[in-house]
Amino acid sequence: MDQILVSEEWENSDLSLLETLDHVLNRGLVIAGEITIGVADIDLIYVGLNVMVSSVETAHEVLRKRQTK
Amino acid sequence: MSATVFYVYCIAESAAATQLPADSLPAAIEDDTKIEWVAVNKLAALISQVPGAIYSEESLAEHLTDATWTAIRAMRHETVVEYVAKHVTVVPLRFGTIYLERHGIEQMLAERSRELEEMIEHLRGREEWGVNVYSDRAALMSSITSVSPVLRDLVARAEQASPGQSYLMQKKIEALKADEARAEVNRIVDQVENRLREQSDDARRLRILKVETTEHGELKAKFAFLIKRTEFEEFREAAERLAQENQTAGVRLELTGPWPVYNFVQD
Repeated sequence: MDQILVSEEWENSDLSLLETLDHVLNRGLVIAGEITIGVADIDLIYVGLNVMVSSVETAHEVLRKRQTK
Repeated sequence: MSATVFYVYCIAESAAATQLPADSLPAAIEDDTKIEWVAVNKLAALISQVPGAIYSEESLAEHLTDATWTAIRAMRHETVVEYVAKHVTVVPLRFGTIYLERHGIEQMLAERSRELEEMIEHLRGREEWGVNVYSDRAALMSSITSVSPVLRDLVARAEQASPGQSYLMQKKIEALKADEARAEVNRIVDQVENRLREQSDDARRLRILKVETTEHGELKAKFAFLIKRTEFEEFREAAERLAQENQTAGVRLELTGPWPVYNFVQD
């Protein structure tokens, strides 16, 4: 049994979708553009995303859209 | 509001950025637009034009409440940054940085050039890797007595004790098991953090978004590490050793990446 899981194909799991979204939405350099999404907006987004990720089908649909783009 | 505004994905060195073949760049955040570089001296920002009607303050706030809309855009943002990060050193921006005019981006690049150039220097040749620590409670509970000296001692004493005393000690053992299991997981998480920190240039402990129970158990901790590409094998070996050592305690490690360095460009 392998003790470590190297998930290079993380695109395939729902957890990874949430993980990817967390990277993009919550991290990265914040530069004050003329329009920048505020912290309150980000929190709101999470509520929706958590619901979406719980609904596996929608999550897969998003992943498919990602791959075909 | 002008018809189109500018969405910014990431910043890189202009010399390296312009080497990337334009036709191999991934799709932009909105359909039927192209991503392009806006360069000022040594720096370049990767941007694409987006409709001002959607990316205005009010309209954007409304669109963001639509999880599917947001997830698709966030994924495209990620795909673009990931592609660039594969080829050149990149400063990833957080999702949703929008400029009304191209000039605003040029001004930002000029004003923050020193800070951005230093950041790129610090990140050169490095990648972000994620480490998730999972705990399988059933495996942990069945091995906790052999792992915990306190429990081992109590069990040994209970075996020697009179039936009445032994009964009371058994109850104590059961209560202690849960506490010791929690302490053991915390100890392992700290050990993972400390040892992998030594094998990396920088480390962050990340928040857990929600309690995830997967086939590997419950997610107990998430870390991001900044690692030189040339030192990744050592990092991976260290992670493997940690995984082996803690396998009997029901702990599994998951390595994800390489990621653009999202966690190492914040203040």
